[in-house]
Amino acid sequence: MIKWTDEQRTLRAAAAELGAVVGKDHLERDATGTFSEQGWALVRESGLLGLPFGAEYGGLDADLLTTMYVLEGLGESCRDGGFPFSVTTHVVSTGVPLQRFGSDELKQRYLPGVCSGSAIGAHAISEPDAGSDMMAMRTTAVLDGDDYVLSGSKSFVSNGPIADTFMVYARTGKSGAPDAITTFLVERDSPGLHVGQPMGKMGLKTSPLSELFLDGVRVPTSRVVGKVGAGFLVLDHVMKWEILLSFVVNLGEMEHRLAECVRHARSRKQFGRPIGSYQSVSNKLVDMRIGVETSRKWLYDTAEKLVARKAVTTDIAITKLVVSEANVASALAAVQVFGGYGYMTEYGVEKDVRNAVAGTIYSGTTEIQRQRVAAMMGLG
Amino acid sequence: MSRIDEITRYIVAEFAPDIRADELDADYDLLDNGVVDSLGLLRLIGWLGERYDLPVDDIDLAPEQFRSVRAVDAFVESALVKGPAL
Ligand SMILES: Cc1cc2nc3c(=O)[nH]c(=O)nc-3n(C[C@H](O)[C@H](O)[C@H](O)COP(=O)(O)OP(=O)(O)OC[C@H]3O[C@@H](n4cnc5c(N)ncnc54)[C@H](O)[C@@H]3O)c2cc1C
Repeated sequence: MIKWTDEQRTLRAAAAELGAVVGKDHLERDATGTFSEQGWALVRESGLLGLPFGAEYGGLDADLLTTMYVLEGLGESCRDGGFPFSVTTHVVSTGVPLQRFGSDELKQRYLPGVCSGSAIGAHAISEPDAGSDMMAMRTTAVLDGDDYVLSGSKSFVSNGPIADTFMVYARTGKSGAPDAITTFLVERDSPGLHVGQPMGKMGLKTSPLSELFLDGVRVPTSRVVGKVGAGFLVLDHVMKWEILLSFVVNLGEMEHRLAECVRHARSRKQFGRPIGSYQSVSNKLVDMRIGVETSRKWLYDTAEKLVARKAVTTDIAITKLVVSEANVASALAAVQVFGGYGYMTEYGVEKDVRNAVAGTIYSGTTEIQRQRVAAMMGLG
Repeated sequence: MSRIDEITRYIVAEFAPDIRADELDADYDLLDNGVVDSLGLLRLIGWLGERYDLPVDDIDLAPEQFRSVRAVDAFVESALVKGPAL
């Protein structure tokens, strides 16, 4: 078990305090699909957006495990599930690849905006005909003098409507080959870049998402992130961080949900006894607890392995699958434990089901994670 | 067995089981010819990390370094110079 220091606990408490404030009007904003501008101002002030990035860029220089622990605190306290999703998307989409693969020039120019939150980040990978099979992407980047010219469209871009910088993944090589994709940093005001209208969705409604259209967008070669043709490996690195950071938020949410369900099961009486005394109810709570403990182990064990620079491709896939599925199961169980109150919007329990389902789709669907594990076992 | 032979054997066994190790030329383009696809690349990197104790997540990875058996061997050589995994 990891022993957290006082400093780490203080940081987590600050994130939890912030999350509680941001989450206050979550029901109203979920109903209208409104991103919390006030929350973003607060998170900017807190410095949390720069957690894992170098102090020279305005970051806090925290290691991966500390960053996760703090974000777990945000998830535990923030009832607006979309807000932490926008936060983690910002951090992992632009900050993480810049820090790991960006040139000094790119880091100096863009990382301060990531750390301060003055430039919101997003990443654009999925396309209308290339979702799970991202290597089949059609958006192309063609070299023309000192620029690449990007053309194509991207289907689901979280933070798209509010983003200032986009990491766009485009094809520079033979379709399907592992060296076919390159990563480009594209500014929102680039001529030819069009951001679609916010799209309505089932959950995570307070985290805006849109399409992105690239119509001959010129991007200087200096804004290639990593090597030309290394986009798949850049994305692999980004996905490891995305899975650890956005799903540790889900762990925090599950911890909160479990505590609420236990409290309700102990106080709500039917047939003269607390409903928690009925085994079919307590079994649900035990399963929720198992989901929390299993998720925590997978998340932090995998992070420790990654920090030790070990190959974690299988571990990451299992972690993503275990946590996202546990989150859906936990959210559904909570509705059942709360009964009719769980189903009614005003109690805020049903919303978690809608939010949790997204986790089984983004960052690679549950089915794709199974495929990955199978492939790493030499199958298929 | 030399390192280049060992790498050849692994690639043949995992990605091209229909050919013999001595049939795979050290300069054959593994990526363009579809021997190693994107997930295969991750498997290969994972195997190299474990087999040669390389800090795989700390190296400026590029697919070019895995284009052929000879390129993979050169990648291992340069990674070993940088030091083993922590
Ligand atoms: C809330 C949310 C936020 C998102 N944010 C972003 C973002 O910021 N940037 C971005 O680029 N994308 C984003 N996405 C897109 C997401 O990554 C894709 O939706 C996902 O990769 C699946 O692609 P698809 O929707 O095209 O489905 P498809 O790939 O068409 O899959 C449809 C179904 O077929 C299954 N399937 C496909 N192939 C296989 C296979 N080989 N074996 C077994 N089953 C298979 C899938 O699991 C799924 O159930 C987001 C999605 C959601 C829901």
